Amino acid sequence: MSSGISIRHDIVPQLEQLLGPEAVFVSDLQRYSIDGVLPTAVARPGSAEQIPALLKIANEQNWTVVSFGGGTRQQVGQTIERIDIVLSTERLDKIENYDPGDLTIAVQSGARVDSVSTACAQHRQLLALEAPAGATIGGALAANESGPLRAGFGAPRDFCIGVNFVTGDGVKGRGGGRVVKNVAGYDLMKLMIGSFGTLGVIVSANFKLFPLAQQTATFITEFDSVAQAIQVRDWLLRSPLAPISAELINPTASEYLTNRAPRDPDSWAPEAPSQQKKRWMLALRFAGSDRLLARCRKELAFASPRDLTEAEQMAFWRAVAGFEATAIERHRNGMIFHVSAPLAESQNVIEAAQGAATDYNFVASTIARVTVGTLVIAFLPLAVDPPGATQFASAASHFRSRLSRGASAVVMRCPLEAKPQFDLWGSTPSDIALMRKIKRAFDPNNILNRGRFLVE
Amino acid sequence: MSHQDSAIQTAEEHGHSLQMGESNFAGPDRPTWELYATCVHCGLCLNHCPTYRVLGMEMDSPRGRIYQVLQVDAGRLPIAESFVTHIDRCLDCRACESACPSGVQYGHIVERARAQIEQHYQRPWLARQIRSFFYRHVLGDRKRLSQIATLLRFYQRSGLQSLAQHCGALKLIGMAELDRLQPRVDDRFFFEQFGQVFPASGERRARVAFHAGCIASVAFSALNEATVRVLTKNGIEVCVPAGQNCCGALQAHAGFRDEARALARQNIAAMLDDRFDAVVTNAAGCGSTLKEYGDLLREDGQCSDAERFAEKVKDVTEFLSSIGLRPPERQMKLKATYQDPCHLAHGQRIRNPPRELLRAVGIELEEMPHSDQCCGSAGSYNVTQNELSMKILDAKMNDVSSTSAELVVTANVGCMLQLRAGMDRAGLNLPVKHVIEVLDECY
Amino acid sequence: MFSFGIASKLKKIVGRDSVLDRAEDLMLYEYDGSLARGMPNFVVFPQNTEQVSAIMKLACSEQLSVIPRGAGTGLSGGAIARRGGIVLSLARMNRILEIDVANLRATVQPGVVNLDLSAALAPQGFYFAPDPSSQKACTIGGNVAENSGGPHTLVSGVTVNHVTGIEVVLPDGRIAQLGSKSANAAGYDLPGVFVGSEGTFGIATAITVKICRLPESVATLLSIYDDVQDAANTVVALTTEGITPAAIEMLDGWTLRAVEAYVHAGYPLDSAAVLLIELEGLREAVDEQAEIVSAVCRRAGAREVRRAKDENERQLLWKGRKTAFGAIGRVSPSYYVQDGVIPRTRVPETLRKIEEVGKKHSLTIGNIFHAGDGNLHPLILFDARDEQQTRRTLEAGREILEFCISVGGSITGEHGVGMEKQDLMSSLFSDSELEVMARLRKCFNPDSVLNPQKLLPSIRTCRETVMPGHASLDAPVASGAELR
Ligand SMILES: Cc1cc2nc3c(=O)[nH]c(=O)nc-3n(C[C@H](O)[C@H](O)[C@H](O)COP(=O)(O)OP(=O)(O)OC[C@H]3O[C@@H](n4cnc5c(N)ncnc54)[C@H](O)[C@@H]3O)c2cc1C
Ligand SMILES: Cc1cc2nc3c(=O)[nH]c(=O)nc-3n(C[C@H](O)[C@H](O)[C@H](O)COP(=O)(O)OP(=O)(O)OC[C@H]3O[C@@H](n4cnc5c(N)ncnc54)[C@H](O)[C@@H]3O)c2cc1C
Ligand code: SF4
Ligand code: SF4
Repeated sequence: MSSGISIRHDIVPQLEQLLGPEAVFVSDLQRYSIDGVLPTAVARPGSAEQIPALLKIANEQNWTVVSFGGGTRQQVGQTIERIDIVLSTERLDKIENYDPGDLTIAVQSGARVDSVSTACAQHRQLLALEAPAGATIGGALAANESGPLRAGFGAPRDFCIGVNFVTGDGVKGRGGGRVVKNVAGYDLMKLMIGSFGTLGVIVSANFKLFPLAQQTATFITEFDSVAQAIQVRDWLLRSPLAPISAELINPTASEYLTNRAPRDPDSWAPEAPSQQKKRWMLALRFAGSDRLLARCRKELAFASPRDLTEAEQMAFWRAVAGFEATAIERHRNGMIFHVSAPLAESQNVIEAAQGAATDYNFVASTIARVTVGTLVIAFLPLAVDPPGATQFASAASHFRSRLSRGASAVVMRCPLEAKPQFDLWGSTPSDIALMRKIKRAFDPNNILNRGRFLVE
Repeated sequence: MSHQDSAIQTAEEHGHSLQMGESNFAGPDRPTWELYATCVHCGLCLNHCPTYRVLGMEMDSPRGRIYQVLQVDAGRLPIAESFVTHIDRCLDCRACESACPSGVQYGHIVERARAQIEQHYQRPWLARQIRSFFYRHVLGDRKRLSQIATLLRFYQRSGLQSLAQHCGALKLIGMAELDRLQPRVDDRFFFEQFGQVFPASGERRARVAFHAGCIASVAFSALNEATVRVLTKNGIEVCVPAGQNCCGALQAHAGFRDEARALARQNIAAMLDDRFDAVVTNAAGCGSTLKEYGDLLREDGQCSDAERFAEKVKDVTEFLSSIGLRPPERQMKLKATYQDPCHLAHGQRIRNPPRELLRAVGIELEEMPHSDQCCGSAGSYNVTQNELSMKILDAKMNDVSSTSAELVVTANVGCMLQLRAGMDRAGLNLPVKHVIEVLDECY
Repeated sequence: MFSFGIASKLKKIVGRDSVLDRAEDLMLYEYDGSLARGMPNFVVFPQNTEQVSAIMKLACSEQLSVIPRGAGTGLSGGAIARRGGIVLSLARMNRILEIDVANLRATVQPGVVNLDLSAALAPQGFYFAPDPSSQKACTIGGNVAENSGGPHTLVSGVTVNHVTGIEVVLPDGRIAQLGSKSANAAGYDLPGVFVGSEGTFGIATAITVKICRLPESVATLLSIYDDVQDAANTVVALTTEGITPAAIEMLDGWTLRAVEAYVHAGYPLDSAAVLLIELEGLREAVDEQAEIVSAVCRRAGAREVRRAKDENERQLLWKGRKTAFGAIGRVSPSYYVQDGVIPRTRVPETLRKIEEVGKKHSLTIGNIFHAGDGNLHPLILFDARDEQQTRRTLEAGREILEFCISVGGSITGEHGVGMEKQDLMSSLFSDSELEVMARLRKCFNPDSVLNPQKLLPSIRTCRETVMPGHASLDAPVASGAELR
């Protein structure tokens, strides 16, 4: 669909003229390479006002643009065809407005999620957006990230109350506002969240905050089989208990919740065979007063839970949140799925992953957000030889073929060589024709992340 | 011209046939702006309206009916077939009044609308004759009612009825359902008791005038007698004043307000007396009309009498529960469900007293869903709007059978008849009784 | 004749008794819960998705606009035909298709009444969380279209937080599936953008919603004030204290007197304002929080805080709140309700402003609102027969909403823009922002066949007539081209 001739040698001077020379650079491009593709230039606008103008020119000149936050999620989707400009949001990192009395905050997209969280924590408030060090507000929204707190506080779509963005052809758009309840106009937040930078560049976003819990308790229960664990989950769903986190961790995933260094970076290899058989773990976290926590403890007594200490809790949940990062750090050839499936299908998804992984010489390590129905599954190579590219594709298609139509399993990360072999996004129960229309409407010349998503 | 343009034009054409202008209401009993302007068209009543639930259209909803009245007043809608159809379809069950937060007096609006229809609309010849005969010349005339009832009794007892049922003649003329709804005419009419006084047994706790009703006196004499028994057993002296007459409810609901007014005056003259602590009725429909004589006679000089009278009127369940039952001689250990008669629950806001009386004699009550939704009987509605009435009734039977009740109790004879017909249609075998009948068995 | 041909085609699709085309019937579809009016050329009552699709195809080829309609309780004129066309009533598509407890989902047809779904779920211990005050009448299709909220959406979220899948008939008749029973389907969040699109994107024909457990314990507190400002300050104090009740509703003295006349719930007639605060969850948490909340209320100046002693009293208090708009009909022939939202820290000054506006225009304004979310519902009372007063009413409404915008708020928190607040959209959004929204609408509804001239502002406006008994808004009737 990309039409028109692009005159690319002009990029740098034109950008410099538009943004000022300090905002454009062409050295140290390696930092911004995506799947090995280097950009021609990196633009770092110092004000949000510059973004529409920049995108207008890019759109006219058919220069492709990749918006870039912390760079923690740039390997998602198909390899981008060509990167003329990396639009880095790193200088747009201000908190525009924080109204603790109203429990709302407005932030620029380049602000680091962790620094915004810290600012809120000073007022004993919680930004429920979860992302590891380095990720930006814009990126975390674009990637629709969530973590263990999703059970208690929802996904970004539930607490992001406003967004400002610029479309591919440089038009300023906005959805929502700064108040917690608002139905004026279309809900464009929903559109930008999870769009992976393909519909527009997020300039700033507004969030509803939550009061920070006074204290929490974490209970760990263990089971010999996934079926037993799921039974307890089903009981939990019908009980009056409302955990803020509820994660089912399979025996191999628990390996990645420790600080021990891996024995072999290329393949999954457990710690020296231990006497103790690893078991399925259901980790539940509750927030509230002493009396409330005591009640939870009592209700759960039948499953003989282990109580974590304050310090253990912190470390444990940090490790759960960092599971994906740890797995990838240890296994550069790992493949990560984000799965979303109806609740009753959790066990089936876990078993399907295990089956498909074994058949293709992987080990499936799974952390399932079991009261929500989302799962992070790492396929980690078992063989000493690096796996062949088609092996990833076969394992993925085998796995997906066992899921129901309502489910989706997106490959968030896999080795570069494997990418061309298969569809990373998989199927979706949602209407693709409409998605294509929306992409064309918001990015008519397909300059944003060209080729990453909805390749025609 | 594009289609869109012609669509706009059609809208304008419609507009022409619905010009605003002079009100189409005239004469006495006009629905007033004050009455219908309380409706803020919020729609909260829709789901409570039996006809809306079955038909799903605004024209047959409370909000829609009020809007039609408003449009007739604005001169945009004639008093013609369409308006008449939708106003006729209203059960006058007044569930919408209970549901309406705005305090719309729907009953007053629809009765006035019907009065206007009677004044300004020519129904087909046969309907006109029947309505006029029935409302003007039968109900309020004890002698004629007795004669007709005697004829009907002959039809029922002589074998003619079963002949007609068996040869299919009724189905042929579309009367099969109606036939099922007919009350069985009594062997002896309650009219014979008029003028009598029944002393209280034991210490006298109160003295009441009993309003016996017209049709009830030829078809439900037994219930009237039971009412007298239950009252006297509970220490209440019961007088049946001879000068009383039909309450006028059916006439008022049908738009015959002048006839209703004449009856109201008679009843007030006969029963407004300081000797009586209350005027008691066992028919919810009569009760709610008797209590609204004030509105009916607003333009009369007698208004204050009417209001004093209305204050004395008590449904028998309301009266009994207010003075408290004497301990019953027998307990009735049964599981029952109670159907709220519209004119008790919505018309008079009486929901708890009948339930309390039932519990007092040992009955275990299990509520059915939508117990306060009309059964479709609604006075003569099951006769005039038979098909719709049956749909409403079938839904009611579904609700009944969702409980484990062994007995269905209600507090109005019309509802009893309708529910019994429903049992027949649905092939259910549950007895249907009046609260008074249940109490009567316990004393 | 043109309309005759269409009528018979429509009748072929849905059956004879499911099409209205006589003027005397059509006029019953010219209103909804708002003050707007507009008469369609046809009303159809489809019974299934295929019929909806066939109607859309017909409408498309005849270039007739289609206006979906649920129960017609909308307060922004969303279900009104602005320039004729077909009103497509979903009242007869009212079956609950599936209650799937294992997946915590229910799938319903759009015409299912909100409260009927909760009633059907109750025996199994569940309910549908969005609880608009109109819930005993409004449909889930309407809730989806308006992204409706309610008192309890303070903690449990509005409709969009509870919808995961929608089957939609697009204007060209194509049936599209958006989302599923799972928490988030891969790709753009289509159910997310569809919710709140006010019937301008497509017709929802099946909706999959989350179902929630009924809470173990509920406490309802009534906090009573002699000064409205103290009530407003309590809201700020509760928010900063870090307590999130399930609901915080405010009624001012004027409103609660109207309400009390209907429900007899024991609202104190002599007070200046009350807060109705509800806490729910585990017994332990509810009891503790009830104490903390009472203390905060007292500190902020409450003269009395009482807790509903039983379910009956609780239900009565809520009945009072939920029927409050209607109860206004007892004291005034017409009312004009606003739906502005403000940051919760600005509640006190906004209430002062509303009072000022009322004085300036000599109008009575009642205040009732979802205080916990800063969602105000000022009710301006007027008599539609008085043209002067009607005009002042509209002006006052506008001033209040402009104030909301000026303190960083919004013009609508739950009732939608519809044809009522279109003009104000340009005060809230810039031209380019509106243009981006129009682009999105075009993806779904390219020729504006569905619900034309709603939500996004039109360029030219003119006045409608005022009918007796019912005010017609100064409703912008667009004749010019719409923004696309
Ligand atoms: C190993 C690893 C582990 C992780 N673990 C977690 C975890 O435990 N919890 C968690 O919540 N997240 C986790 N993440 C997710 C990661 O933190 C998010 O992807 C991140 O928040 C995205 O932010 P970013 O600034 O790094 O965006 P980038 O990676 O720079 O961008 C991601 C996508 O968003 C687009 N984008 C970036 N900025 C904008 C913008 N302003 N406007 C529009 N589009 C934009 C990009 O074009 C790209 O498509 C993990 C990621 C990795 C790689
Ligand atoms: C007394 C009262 C109290 C209210 N309280 C609240 C409240 O607390 N919170 C709140 O949010 N709202 C409230 N409302 C407003 C209203 O009830 C809601 O907006 C409700 O969701 C509308 O539902 P409905 O079925 O009546 O829809 P309608 O009014 O019939 O239609 C509303 C809009 O939805 C569209 N629509 C309807 N069905 C569909 C469908 N299937 N597919 C696509 N579009 C469709 C219509 O075209 C229209 O634009 C209240 C209204 C009243 C009268
Ligand atoms: S009758 Fe009452 S409930 Fe019905 S629409 Fe009118 S005001 Fe609302
Ligand atoms: S009286 Fe009954 S049938 Fe008539 S409009 Fe009211 S609820 Fe409907």
